[in-house]
Amino acid sequence: MSSEQNLSADVVIVGSGVAGSSIANELARAGISVIVLEAGPRVDRQHFVENFRNLENKPSYQGPFPAVPWAQHPPDQQTPNEYLHTSGPDAEAYQQVYLRMMGGTTWHWAGCAWRYLPSDFELKTRYGQGRDWALKYDDLEPFYYQAEVMMGVCGPDPAVEDLGSPRKQVYPMDALPISYAAQQFRKLISEKTPWRVVHEPQARNTRPYDRRPTCEGHNNCMPICPIGAMYNGSYSVYDAEAAGAKFIPNAVVYKIERDSANKRVTALHYFDPDKGSHRVTGKYFVIAAHCIETAKLLLVSADEQSPEGVANSSGHVGRNMMDHTGVQVTFISGGEAWWPGRGPLETNVIDNFRDGPWRNERGAYLVHMVDDNQVDLATQLAISKGYVGRELEEQIRYLASHTVRLFSHNEGLADPDNRLTLNKTKKDMLGIPHPDVYYKLPEYTVRSCENTREVFRQMIGLMHGTDEQWTPGYFPQDHPAGSTIMGVDPKDSVVDGHCRTHDHDNLFIASSSVFSSVGTGNITLTVAALALRVADTLKKELIHA
Amino acid sequence: MKGYIMRKERGSQPLCLWHVSPNAMRLSRLLRMSRRDTLLAGMSAALAGSIGVAVAQDQQPSDQRSSNTEDLPVEEFMALSRRLTDRAELDQRIGDALCAGIVHGNAARAEQIHALHDLLTKGNFASASEFAHAAETQDKAYKDVVHEIMTGWYRGVADGKVVVYRSALMFDITKDAVYPKTYASGGPFYWTAKPPEVAVPTGQPAMSPSKFVVEPT
Repeated sequence: MSSEQNLSADVVIVGSGVAGSSIANELARAGISVIVLEAGPRVDRQHFVENFRNLENKPSYQGPFPAVPWAQHPPDQQTPNEYLHTSGPDAEAYQQVYLRMMGGTTWHWAGCAWRYLPSDFELKTRYGQGRDWALKYDDLEPFYYQAEVMMGVCGPDPAVEDLGSPRKQVYPMDALPISYAAQQFRKLISEKTPWRVVHEPQARNTRPYDRRPTCEGHNNCMPICPIGAMYNGSYSVYDAEAAGAKFIPNAVVYKIERDSANKRVTALHYFDPDKGSHRVTGKYFVIAAHCIETAKLLLVSADEQSPEGVANSSGHVGRNMMDHTGVQVTFISGGEAWWPGRGPLETNVIDNFRDGPWRNERGAYLVHMVDDNQVDLATQLAISKGYVGRELEEQIRYLASHTVRLFSHNEGLADPDNRLTLNKTKKDMLGIPHPDVYYKLPEYTVRSCENTREVFRQMIGLMHGTDEQWTPGYFPQDHPAGSTIMGVDPKDSVVDGHCRTHDHDNLFIASSSVFSSVGTGNITLTVAALALRVADTLKKELIHA
Repeated sequence: MKGYIMRKERGSQPLCLWHVSPNAMRLSRLLRMSRRDTLLAGMSAALAGSIGVAVAQDQQPSDQRSSNTEDLPVEEFMALSRRLTDRAELDQRIGDALCAGIVHGNAARAEQIHALHDLLTKGNFASASEFAHAAETQDKAYKDVVHEIMTGWYRGVADGKVVVYRSALMFDITKDAVYPKTYASGGPFYWTAKPPEVAVPTGQPAMSPSKFVVEPT
């Protein structure tokens, strides 16, 4: 069945997460017509909060966000998985989760809003590893600030605490005061090690900002902030709609139509939940559908003109999959009661390992001391140990107040063999194949993780820790990148420095999929900055045209 | 398309499948474990010294479950609960719901609750620990029943479902330091203040340890 509607706009965007919605907002405010096609449903915050409170397995980040059958997403990080099928020596290290919903995956991010370091964009030039980006830090700096203002990022005064990414303006909001647990952690690291603990820049309100309230410390940034003190993509959706952009939920794009020369995209085709097909025409098109779904869509769109997939003359669509594969340890501190879980989840970071001369041999990383409420975990543990009554209550209080969790973001590296392909047998209800990912952790990252483990062992010793439990192997940090990699050479990259595809003049990609290296900071702020730069390019071309 | 709600049938609430209960969604995955699930699986064993049996029980077929609330051993359940929590008073309404959930999850629990109550009334147990130890000594299967009663009151969970969240006892005993997630009310930047100190526990486990299954993230 085909739609009789005539859907058309200057710019048609796939995906309503932070990238797609912020581009839509910028363009709509400039008077440019925009249609955003979102595969998943529109759901209000209150329903996610209700789902969370009724969820027995509270640590499940995906739990409050059940997928709809026409826009599946990974239900959890288990291998094998019902949707994202991973294979290879480190299959479990690439078991990412993300959301296909209006507003995107930032419904359950922690608000960590790092700028990348200048060196992150020049990894090959400076360290002989991986790839350089087709842009420099200075190209992105104005858009980093624009993204920080859009999201409402709080952070330290650079004159007091320089995070290594040069700034022309201070953060839009003052840094978040860190918890007592984080204060003690910072004191310990400062006094006993050569390292430092810094305030993590966060898209979280330390004062009323952009019609949203100040953070109240509900300790539930992931999976859902109950009051909207933390930015997420839904706010850019609301702003874009107010400016005139049209968002269509439950619109699953399955084909990218091009002209006879295969140089320009002419339309997108999407299925509604009943598999009715609709065609949307436009002048420019942006795929902003998350790293995994963006590559999947380009591959699904393969046809006679582009048998290996759209924008894929290089053969690099779906390759170079990266992540901040992490190391994690939990233990019981022998010191005073820190009571993690008071305030936001992630507020402090050891940033000494983000860059250094050793980066020519092993990847960089950063360390989080996670500030999450351990009461439920402590209760389950104490019950399983056989305690009841008063003794159980003693144990719960002790374990909840003394559990410490450390984890790291370790730098991945672009390797074409780490590849996303289409599953040959498993399809969703619309007949669209599930994604497969083959993953082998680069030796560069393995060496980085070994270094992290040694650092963690030192920290456990400093805290007189006992009962340490290491997450076996490596665990995914849900920061996938690289599947439509950026580069200057169309033979080995998919997009140029402006995120325009080499193959199609009017097709852009706004996603972590364009990252040429993955650095150490959480990826969202860089995704937003790249997206705002795409919006800037589109505005110039459309308005001047 | 088969099995999903079609356009004509969806009416004015067409796209609300996201609204299904997350509890229902997780039941089929209750016993699955991943690497991350094993993160703390060894912690309880390490702390307690050995590995016992899994806490989680297979779900019972629905035709074996008790659905008649009048048949529930609620008063016996409440007496057991008071003894096992060392508390003189517990909320009757929460107890009703926990008892119903536990028996719904495993119909055999009704008889086990009755038997445990017999043990309780025939003995003279001065503490939860004394009673739990005696229960496990009499029948190893009673340990699982005690675990479910503890899980019900302290976590607010029965039959894999949330019965109460904020009112779970684990939050009552930690309310001087932390809030249930999504329910903070400490005022601006409350988290910067020093929380209470906690003494090293001196009590001992009453029963043998069990394997601890961390649920998947």
